[in-house]
Amino acid sequence: MLMGGKVRQLQDVVREIPGRGAEIALGGFAITRCPVAFVNELIRQGKKELILYETIGGFTADLLVGAGAVKRYSYGGGSLDKFGQLRRVNEGIENGTLDVREYTALSINLRFLAGSLGIPYVPSKTLLGTDILANLLGKDSEAVMVKESPFDGEQYVYYRSLQPEYAVIHAPCADAKGNVVIYGPTWDEELAKAAKKLIVTVDKVVSTEFIRQHPEMVVIPSLYTYAVCEVPYGAYPTSVYKAYDYDADVLSAYGRLNHEQSEFNKWLQEYVLGTKDHNEFLLKLAGMEKLAALRADPVFGYAKGAQ
Amino acid sequence: MAAVTYTTNELMAVTAARALRDGQNVVVGLGLPQVAALLAKRTHAPNLNIIYEIGVANAEAVDPGVGIADPRLWHRSEYFTSSIGALGSILQKGLVDVGFLGALQIDCFGNLNSTQVKLADGSIRHFTGSGGAADIATFARNIFVIMKHEKRKITASLDYLTSVGLLAGGDSRSKAGLPMCLEVKIITNLCVFGIKRGQNVLEVQSLHPGVAQEDVLANTGFAVTFAADLQTTGIPTEVETTLLRTRIDPRGLFIK
Repeated sequence: MLMGGKVRQLQDVVREIPGRGAEIALGGFAITRCPVAFVNELIRQGKKELILYETIGGFTADLLVGAGAVKRYSYGGGSLDKFGQLRRVNEGIENGTLDVREYTALSINLRFLAGSLGIPYVPSKTLLGTDILANLLGKDSEAVMVKESPFDGEQYVYYRSLQPEYAVIHAPCADAKGNVVIYGPTWDEELAKAAKKLIVTVDKVVSTEFIRQHPEMVVIPSLYTYAVCEVPYGAYPTSVYKAYDYDADVLSAYGRLNHEQSEFNKWLQEYVLGTKDHNEFLLKLAGMEKLAALRADPVFGYAKGAQ
Repeated sequence: MAAVTYTTNELMAVTAARALRDGQNVVVGLGLPQVAALLAKRTHAPNLNIIYEIGVANAEAVDPGVGIADPRLWHRSEYFTSSIGALGSILQKGLVDVGFLGALQIDCFGNLNSTQVKLADGSIRHFTGSGGAADIATFARNIFVIMKHEKRKITASLDYLTSVGLLAGGDSRSKAGLPMCLEVKIITNLCVFGIKRGQNVLEVQSLHPGVAQEDVLANTGFAVTFAADLQTTGIPTEVETTLLRTRIDPRGLFIK
């Protein structure tokens, strides 16, 4: 492992996060590039009352909510794609036990964008006329308001800038300085650049010479990055394009067991609380053979024939 | 010549495909919308740009995926971008001609609910939420929906308004400050709804072959009106069904 620079142990970085009320933007999207290793470690260390933000909710948000670690969750909607719904999140909404502020993929990212640009707000037409806006004006009135634009006199929603204390994203690789390479779409770029402290878990720390050979692949340059943690298969059982595939067996099982809190608790106890780190989690949930089978085909970027 | 045989899903995909024009930019998700866009691209609209809200343009997938977060759907893309890149600089800027949306419920103004439904006992059941749907309904010039025709889904009143179609009809949409919406096209297994001009409410513009007006009335939760020049939906050609079965959905995941 290449150390030095901003490279640190995952456990140490998570230990730095306050035990209660930390504000974190998560970088996954449904079942891809979810920061699973990081989130599992948050759960193992017993972090509580998290204030979470996410573009599209997925596997990791459902784990945190199911583990009882979340106080407030602002997101643009979410699912496990065809594997199911975020039943731990949804049940919290249905029972009123979770403070959820529902945005859309664009509207929450306009808040991240304003944060990344260092400006107080961004106006947009999006959400005018919807129940989403009606709910936000009630619950999140400090962040969303409807006003006339001074330029064209029309009504806009004004979305307040958001600079979360932390953003946590998973990427295939970064160098020790924190130059982050992402293959495929980069839906988490705005939230990564908006955060006060960006933590990146990567499957592999690469040399800065590799970065210098491929600067066009760097989506987030080092000046944004607070810490880099090398965690091979750190997004498993979700996918990392050009690195490894999602585990359809695990996700479809999860998409059933997350309907019941008691079943979820058993799963969490067995695989997260009952393992000491991500390597143990991987060996227990996947095993070497499965991990090898999920390695991405270099042409296709996913495991050809895996599913 | 033997008559072309087709499934209802093939008819819906073909109907949606034929409504797309060459050179348009469309936002789709997995399922029949993607099938329709790919069929249009392989027939009359080779210059169609197909965008996924996750930030992917013009992919040429060779393996079926489980959703737009599946890298199978990103294969051979022309462009990857960020959330703001896809939903801001492309969608909000006004570059999207057609947005395909899914829904739990739709009302007579083409407003959509993809968030939550009220159950008989008064409790709610929460589903996916918006994702980019409400954003797409705001900024795409045309909204297309392909859905199953059931009374509880095509309903008099939504349990939650996620995405705005024609809001409350008339000029209510523009009065609410929203950009113009040129068309709301709802393609079901029975018929095609479009906008009744002037009133800005949905009307049935074509019935699928073999479907009677009574079938639509019996399966719709709001008071249905039929267009003065009510059509019969055109049936697929052999070229279209062959493309669907051999090239676009050879495993029959969506067109069965």
